[in-house]
Amino acid sequence: MKRILVLLLCIMLLISSCAKNNQDKKATITIWHDKEDSVVAILEEALSPMKDEIDIVFEKKSSLTESLKLVGNDIKNAPDMFIFAHDKIGVYAEMGILAPITDFVSKEELGKNIPLTVEAGLYKGTNYQMPLYYETLLFLYNKKYMKEQDIPSTTEELYSYMQKKTKYGHYGFVEQHSTPYYAAGWIHGFGADLTDKEGNPLLATADMKKALSYHKKFVSLMPGETEYATVNTLFLEGMAHSTMNGPWFISAVRNAGIDVGVAPMPIVDETALPISPYCGIQGIHVLKAHANEKKDEITKVLRALQNANLEISLALATGCAPALSECYEDERIRSSEVVMAMKDTASKAMPMPNMPELDVLWSVMGNLLTDINMRNVDVETACSNAQEKALDLIKAMR
Amino acid sequence: MMKKNNMRAYLVSAPAMIFIGLIVIFPIIYTFFISFTNMNTYHWFNYDFVGLKNYQNALLVFDSGFLNAILYTVLWTAVNMIMQLIIAFVIASFLNIEGLKLRRLYKTLLMFPWAMPGYISILIWKTGMFNSSFGLLNQWLGTSIRWLSSDLGATICCTVVNLWLALPFMIMIMDGGLKSIDKSLYESATIDGAGCIRKAVSITIPCLKPIIGPAVVITVFTTFKTFDVIYLLTQQVGSQTGARIHTIITYTYENAFITNNYGYSSAISIIIFILLILFYEMTNRRSKLC
Amino acid sequence: MLGKRARNLFKQTSLNIFFIVCCVLALIPILYTLSVSMNAEGSLLSSDFSFLPKHLTLKNYKSVFAEEPVMLWLGNTMLLAVSTVVLSLAVAIPASYVFSRWSFAGRKTVLKLLLLLYSFPSILSMFAVYKLMSALGLLNTHIGLIIIYAGTMSVFAVWNMKGYFDTIPVDIEEAAKIDGATDTQIVFMIVMPLARPSIIVTATMVLNFVWNEYIFSINFLTGSENMTLASGLYGLQATELSGSWPVFAAGSIIVSVPVLIIFFLSQKYMTSGLTSGGVKG
Repeated sequence: MKRILVLLLCIMLLISSCAKNNQDKKATITIWHDKEDSVVAILEEALSPMKDEIDIVFEKKSSLTESLKLVGNDIKNAPDMFIFAHDKIGVYAEMGILAPITDFVSKEELGKNIPLTVEAGLYKGTNYQMPLYYETLLFLYNKKYMKEQDIPSTTEELYSYMQKKTKYGHYGFVEQHSTPYYAAGWIHGFGADLTDKEGNPLLATADMKKALSYHKKFVSLMPGETEYATVNTLFLEGMAHSTMNGPWFISAVRNAGIDVGVAPMPIVDETALPISPYCGIQGIHVLKAHANEKKDEITKVLRALQNANLEISLALATGCAPALSECYEDERIRSSEVVMAMKDTASKAMPMPNMPELDVLWSVMGNLLTDINMRNVDVETACSNAQEKALDLIKAMR
Repeated sequence: MMKKNNMRAYLVSAPAMIFIGLIVIFPIIYTFFISFTNMNTYHWFNYDFVGLKNYQNALLVFDSGFLNAILYTVLWTAVNMIMQLIIAFVIASFLNIEGLKLRRLYKTLLMFPWAMPGYISILIWKTGMFNSSFGLLNQWLGTSIRWLSSDLGATICCTVVNLWLALPFMIMIMDGGLKSIDKSLYESATIDGAGCIRKAVSITIPCLKPIIGPAVVITVFTTFKTFDVIYLLTQQVGSQTGARIHTIITYTYENAFITNNYGYSSAISIIIFILLILFYEMTNRRSKLC
Repeated sequence: MLGKRARNLFKQTSLNIFFIVCCVLALIPILYTLSVSMNAEGSLLSSDFSFLPKHLTLKNYKSVFAEEPVMLWLGNTMLLAVSTVVLSLAVAIPASYVFSRWSFAGRKTVLKLLLLLYSFPSILSMFAVYKLMSALGLLNTHIGLIIIYAGTMSVFAVWNMKGYFDTIPVDIEEAAKIDGATDTQIVFMIVMPLARPSIIVTATMVLNFVWNEYIFSINFLTGSENMTLASGLYGLQATELSGSWPVFAAGSIIVSVPVLIIFFLSQKYMTSGLTSGGVKG
């Protein structure tokens, strides 16, 4: 009797485990990111309708770029997708760990986004990113000190404002002057750039030298430190009347009780070009590791993320601008001063280059800026040294 | 020294050797192997053997800038080690004086710099203490000196931070060493009429040497390889301070490691490794360690 | 006229003052962190900084505990730390004893080699260890990470304890041998108690290393249920784009305190049998 019972029990367990196995065909999609919890919550909510079919796991990785390099194509440990800015696409594509996004979504579907955002994810003719939102730097000013009529429309106006107001611990304008990402705005304002389309460095062109000498004039009226803590604190305490910063800063500014205004970037008198900073497009990328086996699930997730409502919520939460063109018909977006200012500045901005060469260029550029702004090295010498250094390092990359 | 057969010795120490072999020696072998390939961004998985090409290219890194970096590193290590040894010895000796009731409390408080994660401490020093507009130092002194912007100023500040980070360890080692010296030696010395300094020189220091020897050598090498302190305080892109000070490792980082060319970087690592070993051999002709 | 007692009092007072000054100097950045962590306002810097913030609050600490699974992190860290300490001591003590007491072929060479390993600039070591662990199938396991930690600290442990063993006179062991003790008995019942300070120091160093180590744990033990205190803290890090300095500061203090408590409690055991008269003459 006992034996029969035991046998029955085993058979039941077997049957139920088989049944469970049939039901358990739910796939899991792992997405790595380095975003704030609030952003992830929005993404998870947008994907919740799918949770019966697909288990979506968001994993925050603080050193995402290094972890991706380590994990490579390792099937067991690589994630399926990751959310990050577009500038590392070149590195990962050359390494061979990225799958083209067009394997999953068609070019038409990508075309629903603002062209600028789609171009950013293009490397050697292939699209690797589906954009979600983008950000760039804005000209912020403290309404208490900088009045309507003071808002500079050209850089010379900014300079005279700085000359008048930079005293007794106050600064007319502050920025991270020796950080390449910020200084790039000034460089583009002179028509120069860090590299050309092929990745050759352009650090010693005449325009670059003009830009850096001109920029130095402004740096002399700014504090010596270039790092973000000083610059941001000066603005937050009301000691700096204006600054150039990203949307991430705005909530901190509002919390500090400052009546902040957003203005278009001043135009460089000499070239009639505005200060055009780089912009970063945040999007989702697919890794090769599981691209084939999970093709359907990945496609479903991608389509679900290309959702206007989702991007609007993301934009409002982060202060960045959504990538889908249709979002701009929405009242919520049109009424957000910050988002519309972002779109305006971004339309004149250029996406960061996504070539692998940029890795070394950021470092060389940083040194070049430090040399000119903080060590008072003469512009000619500094630029030609930097150009040589950049060429050496790029050669060393191969 | 007891004589035992070699088999048994290696058997007993085998577990430790296996762990060390896996985690410490294997990476060195792997690096050596990669230095002969062209593993970089463009050949991440499909790299080939390129023989000595990386070593040829590596020699280009060893230019005048590298020589300056070597000199700076040697100076940096010497200054840091001397100050660490002296200050740790003084503090550890004082900690061991009879009758100091709050000894445990002081010792624990002095260990705090070592207990807090390094990258946070360095950040706090850089922005909280040395910052030219808001740092504590300038707020107290009422000045707005840019401490980190000149090479000399930056070196002094980095030394202060490095000492702050490294002294707890040295104090702990010295303290352990001092505690192991047989008290009877001091007693007989006092009977013989020796004063404090005499006791320190003739008893304490010779007895300490074998115990703290290994820790000192390890600290010398670690100080030689300093990266964090110098880089995070002065050279990190986006928060550079204007000083251009480089140790061997920060120099090679900026000139080679950031290229993501692992074959090339491995060749450089191997060369530096050999240089350090030679350096150690040369300076060790005189002193005997064990 | 100043008697011995008065002189003693003077000596003690000046000693205490010296140490109070030392501690204050050592603690200034820590106090700064503490102050930022108790500040209701969000910033790291401010023009009117005072050690006692104007808006004192403990909400940052509460927020660390409430919003982050700190207890989970603590559990993971303790598991890793204790296992690593036990494992590294278990392998290092026999090895250091053997290197100290026995003479065998290659002893000096191996010792020197071990020390020279420290001069290697290990930029690729993470890569190599990743490949190794991947091949062994130990990625994303606690055991794998413990092996990594134990291996990293073994060199230090062996050298540190060997140096200490060297100073313990052999006579005690020879005396025990004559009394008929076996080798194992000698090691466990005589040498180890005498070497207690060194063992405790080594254990504390290993503990602190594992406690604060985040680079390897982020890459080798993924998944949010596996986060340790150090990797959790790294995730809280306040950068230009995100994070809050007071919360990050509060987290740093929370992570550092347990190690100090353990250190404080272990002080008692740092005295050796030797100095309390184990061997005379």
